[in-house]
Amino acid sequence: MPDESGPAETSTAAALDIRSLRKEFGTAVALDGISLRVPNGSIFGFLGPNGAGKTTTIRIVTGLAHATAGTVRVVGRDLAHDRAAIAREIGFLPDVPGFYDWMTAVEFLGFTGRLFGLGGSALRQRVDDLLDLAGLTNVATRIGGYSRGMKQRLGIAQALINAPRLLILDEPTSALDPIGRREVLETVASLRGRATVFFSTHILADVERVCDTVAILDHGRVVANSSVAALKERAGVHRLAVTVDGDARVLAERLEGAPWLVACDIEDATLRLTVSDAQRAAHDLPRAVAETSLGLLRLANEEVSLEDVFVQLVGGERA
Amino acid sequence: MNGFVPLLAKEFLEIRRTWRLWVVPGILAFFAVTGPIMALLTPRLLASMAAQQPGVVITVPDPTAVDAYAQFVKGLTQMVLLALIIGGGGLVSGERASGTAIMILTKPVSRAAFILSKLVAELVLLLVATTLTTVVTLLVTRALFPPVPAAPLFAAVAIWLVQAGLVVSAMVFFSASFRSRGGAAGAGLAFVMVLLLLSMWPAAERYSFVGLTAAIANALRGGGLWWGWPVGTAMVGMVGFAVAATVVFRGKEI
Repeated sequence: MPDESGPAETSTAAALDIRSLRKEFGTAVALDGISLRVPNGSIFGFLGPNGAGKTTTIRIVTGLAHATAGTVRVVGRDLAHDRAAIAREIGFLPDVPGFYDWMTAVEFLGFTGRLFGLGGSALRQRVDDLLDLAGLTNVATRIGGYSRGMKQRLGIAQALINAPRLLILDEPTSALDPIGRREVLETVASLRGRATVFFSTHILADVERVCDTVAILDHGRVVANSSVAALKERAGVHRLAVTVDGDARVLAERLEGAPWLVACDIEDATLRLTVSDAQRAAHDLPRAVAETSLGLLRLANEEVSLEDVFVQLVGGERA
Repeated sequence: MNGFVPLLAKEFLEIRRTWRLWVVPGILAFFAVTGPIMALLTPRLLASMAAQQPGVVITVPDPTAVDAYAQFVKGLTQMVLLALIIGGGGLVSGERASGTAIMILTKPVSRAAFILSKLVAELVLLLVATTLTTVVTLLVTRALFPPVPAAPLFAAVAIWLVQAGLVVSAMVFFSASFRSRGGAAGAGLAFVMVLLLLSMWPAAERYSFVGLTAAIANALRGGGLWWGWPVGTAMVGMVGFAVAATVVFRGKEI
């Protein structure tokens, strides 16, 4: 990954600082006074169900929409007064990037670079490096003939043309196959410490894989904002796996109504339990198994996933 | 105006690579060639129609080069203006619909540069295409008719260019204001209809850009030019629409 940005600021300054951001569309409140802080050099995951307000937040931060109230500081500058300066420091990939179908990738990246005032051999080299990163070096066809995955990769390339201090990605892996997703995530991870990445996605596994900090948005409010590990810890959910020597559904029926039971998934002879009180559950489970005349083969702790936390915070029906 | 030069270069490249190169220039070229031919053939066609109807007599004066000019100019004031309205509807709204506006406007580019680059590119295309096709119609006319001074043609086309420039500027404003191409084109058509209606008011026709069509006809006839007010107010209108487009677009959420 070509690096012309140099090291990011190591101070405690935030790459993105949103305070009491509110956005109304008529009487509908899309953002209800959200506040969040994205540390410099971090990879920040921005999660939420559909309609939570993620894209609205991003549109405001990138200057495409206006806030009803609140303040936004991007790379230390006030968005209300320094929009042009901010635009020089950020890169943005929308969820469905639009391109000029009659251009080639080289032309589009060159054009984008010239919008930042780049030119000459430096721009040509930058374009070559980014095409190589995007796997589009020998593609001579015009963008109109690209697949969705190719367009997404080109979108990431154009977002990096100015070596931004803050890279904002709205659903960057949604259009990609597993290999493409992995490549994008590796690119994002490689930026840690050199740039800040603000990464909106539905794919919780991606967030767990690369993000340092996560914010979860629901109905226009931030319901969680911390590191992934702290989020799992504070969510107060634990996972237990119980394997029996018979039909696990019998045990599931027996456990219905248990005060510590949050959710229960059945996989053959194994129950995967999400519990609010691991200690009490571990105490009660052997007795419950014995009451069903089943044999207990295994009782083990499992790692809580971000999906468990997400489901608990925003509700299972919207997972 | 951040980004104006690369945006303007992009507009010219787009014109070369897409349908924009062919539509308005194509229609101009069509009327440039067919205008003089139609002027020459129309009396003969009418005469042959009359000959087939017993008792019908149609007296048509012999066509002249001025009739050829008039056919070309009629094409300009009708079909070419219509093409400018329909094509102009998507100048800004098309980029919003396709998502390219988001890609551009999140870069250090002013919204004024985004708007004005489109206006300038369209005006340059119009100027170049009209100039070339006016020369073509002059040459075709001289090949078909005894020569007459070209001044009335140039004067009429020059005034038409101002009219077309006003329409292009208005279309940039409507396209910046409306989310859809259809809405913008509809507003453009309504604008032209309003001008047509206002042209029935003599004061408006005399002292504003409403009178441009009449000024064009007058120039073609070699009449004394009273184009000052229509052209002057049209120039002001062009600037006004351009400024309004920039102001409106600056407040839009993309």
